[in-house]
Amino acid sequence: MSGATSAPGPGADEPRPHDEPDVHSPPAAPNAPTPDTPAPEVSGAYVPTPDAPAHDIPVPTAHGAPAPDVPPVPGGPGVPDSGVPAPAAAGIAPEAERALSPLTLVTAPIAYLRNAIVPLVVAVVAGSFNPWVLGSAAVAIAAMLVGGFVTWRTFRYQVGSERLEIRRGLISRSRRSIPLERIRGVDVTSHLLHRLLGLAVVRIDAAGGGGESEEGKLDAVTAAEAERLRRELLHRRAVLRGETAAGAPAAEAGTAPGAEPAPEADADEDVYFTMPRGWYLYAVLSLGYLLTPFVALATVLGFLGQVADDLASSADADAAAQRAYAWFDGTGEQALLAIAIGAAVVLVALMPVSAVVSYAIAHWGFTLRRRGDALVTERGLFTRRSVTLELRRVRGHELLDNPLERLRRAVRLRAVVTGLGDTATRATLLPIGPRDRVGEVVERALIPYRGPLTRHPGAALRRRLFRAVAPFAAAAAVAAFLAPPWVAVALAAVAALGVPLGVDRYRALGHGDDGRQVSVRSGSLRRAQAVVRRDAIIGWTWRQTLFQRRPGLAHLELAVGAGGGAYTAIDAGFDDAVTFAAGVSPELVRPFLVEGPDERPAP
Amino acid sequence: MWRLETAIVSVVFAAVLCGAAWGVTAAAWSWVPDPVLRYAWWVPGLYGAYAVAEIAVAPSWRYRVHRWEVTADVIYTRTGWLSRRWQLVPVSRIQTVDHKQGWLERLFRVATLKVQTASHAGSSTIEGLDAADAQRISEELAARAAELRDDAT
Repeated sequence: MSGATSAPGPGADEPRPHDEPDVHSPPAAPNAPTPDTPAPEVSGAYVPTPDAPAHDIPVPTAHGAPAPDVPPVPGGPGVPDSGVPAPAAAGIAPEAERALSPLTLVTAPIAYLRNAIVPLVVAVVAGSFNPWVLGSAAVAIAAMLVGGFVTWRTFRYQVGSERLEIRRGLISRSRRSIPLERIRGVDVTSHLLHRLLGLAVVRIDAAGGGGESEEGKLDAVTAAEAERLRRELLHRRAVLRGETAAGAPAAEAGTAPGAEPAPEADADEDVYFTMPRGWYLYAVLSLGYLLTPFVALATVLGFLGQVADDLASSADADAAAQRAYAWFDGTGEQALLAIAIGAAVVLVALMPVSAVVSYAIAHWGFTLRRRGDALVTERGLFTRRSVTLELRRVRGHELLDNPLERLRRAVRLRAVVTGLGDTATRATLLPIGPRDRVGEVVERALIPYRGPLTRHPGAALRRRLFRAVAPFAAAAAVAAFLAPPWVAVALAAVAALGVPLGVDRYRALGHGDDGRQVSVRSGSLRRAQAVVRRDAIIGWTWRQTLFQRRPGLAHLELAVGAGGGAYTAIDAGFDDAVTFAAGVSPELVRPFLVEGPDERPAP
Repeated sequence: MWRLETAIVSVVFAAVLCGAAWGVTAAAWSWVPDPVLRYAWWVPGLYGAYAVAEIAVAPSWRYRVHRWEVTADVIYTRTGWLSRRWQLVPVSRIQTVDHKQGWLERLFRVATLKVQTASHAGSSTIEGLDAADAQRISEELAARAAELRDDAT
């Protein structure tokens, strides 16, 4: 924490940027090193104007001549950096410390306000515009503004030669340091407001110590800066890992221009997919999106209820209630019923429409492209979010569909990636789309699975059927004695529905291996076929319950250090599963097969 | 040791059940249906019978089934008594090796070894190792894993 940067070791302890000039101007050194409370002259020198070109890093002026410590000249020798030894190899000098975009002063209070507006309004209304309440609301709003200002003033980030440092806080200071090598992905998100102002939120995913991921969030920087940061971070990480030397020089050429003003002119970019208009209609097949109007309605009703509660305390509510009751008592009853039925019909009719609309908002202009050695997805109409998935972290992919989607031969594509939190939304590679088209994209972007899937033995069908039918059948039997007959009939109907479900579940079961990758499929209402690279499997587990022992079935679990953690071949034949595993990773399984009976279940 | 552990757990649970049965019969709330009151003591009784059987049978059964083997590259474990589980974990993918001894385990001079990989499903536990063995194996594994280590994911 001290300003003594006399010997920045090549790696361990990189110099803080604004210390650099201070090395040459000793009198300034003692007061420089408190970055959390930027001394006025420091912050004045550093504030990056939002419209500044990305490469134009403001350099501390204390030094006179602008130190050319900026873009990591690929392959170039250590930038002269006015005498300060370049800390890392490959000419990566730490950058100057930066602040967030000043426009954050606008967005942060609005973001706070959005969360607080309802309680505030309710408080003001319920307090019947009492001056005290009004005053405290005003104070709260003022506090938000001040808070936003303080955050902006104290928030600093710096791309060092080996670490990304994020410092913040006025009273309780926090300092987060993320080793660049550990960065797994950089996401850029921008909400509607951010987009209006040309801002973006950068989230940096990094591998934590215990496997959980650790995040850095920069909320918000200018869009150009976000793009530059993304490239810069990924490039530096690649250099640190020594990948650029071995890997494609193209990647370097692709990332280096990140510092130049035209980031889109990227030679090493390959667009795999942009969403055609027709695909938005597939939303109709997704149950989640079909139910959105109900969720929205419930929210609105809940809110109205709350408001009504608040209003009910006022005096004239009683009178209104009485009038409503009188109207209802008279001719209103049928009208009300008609309205209710009409509303229900409209709602059902609107379901597909709203599904398509909400789906389109979330997935607008979905693109999947390769940039350097990473896959980048981008989507959203109002909130535009882009996710970067490193190809070397991708262990495979999953194809997901539900029965409705299967009717239209549509699937979703999701990546199996190590160390990615919030997988459900972020690992999505393609939205719902026709299987053939998705297959094409897989072919280009990933490794397709070509092998067949082995069916599981017939005993598995019996087990699936039993599982799907038995619980409801038993419940129906009990209900036949104890409950009114309609309950029993309903349960029996559900049990009968279990038959096709069980059959379908059985038909979905399968596992296979095409030499490079392994695939496992299961599920009916949500069928998932996971395709995982052979070398991604980090363990095999067979499980066999008492009931599986007689028919000779077992669950085979493929442990994968990515995605869901494990993919299970349900009710595979036991011997089958053992040979399968032995075929996929012989060096792992074979030694134990030699011992013969050990691997087999005891009779 | 498993026998003792099962016994302790069973006794505690049986005591809880007895307490509940006694509470229900003693309080005799009006909303509790009559048959429940009448047969309240059956529950702890049945559980007691089951527990005795479990204490008698399960531990030796489990002992017969449980096997483990550590080769240069792979850890193999077999566990379970009614449901069985065979697991292979490659040493090169090991991330951490935990060596743990509870108070009961210390009494019997055994230890538990827990091997973790990047996937929760790929984590293997070996119970009831001889304490000295466990110590030795955990050290060996850690050294070996460091040697073979790639990215481990």
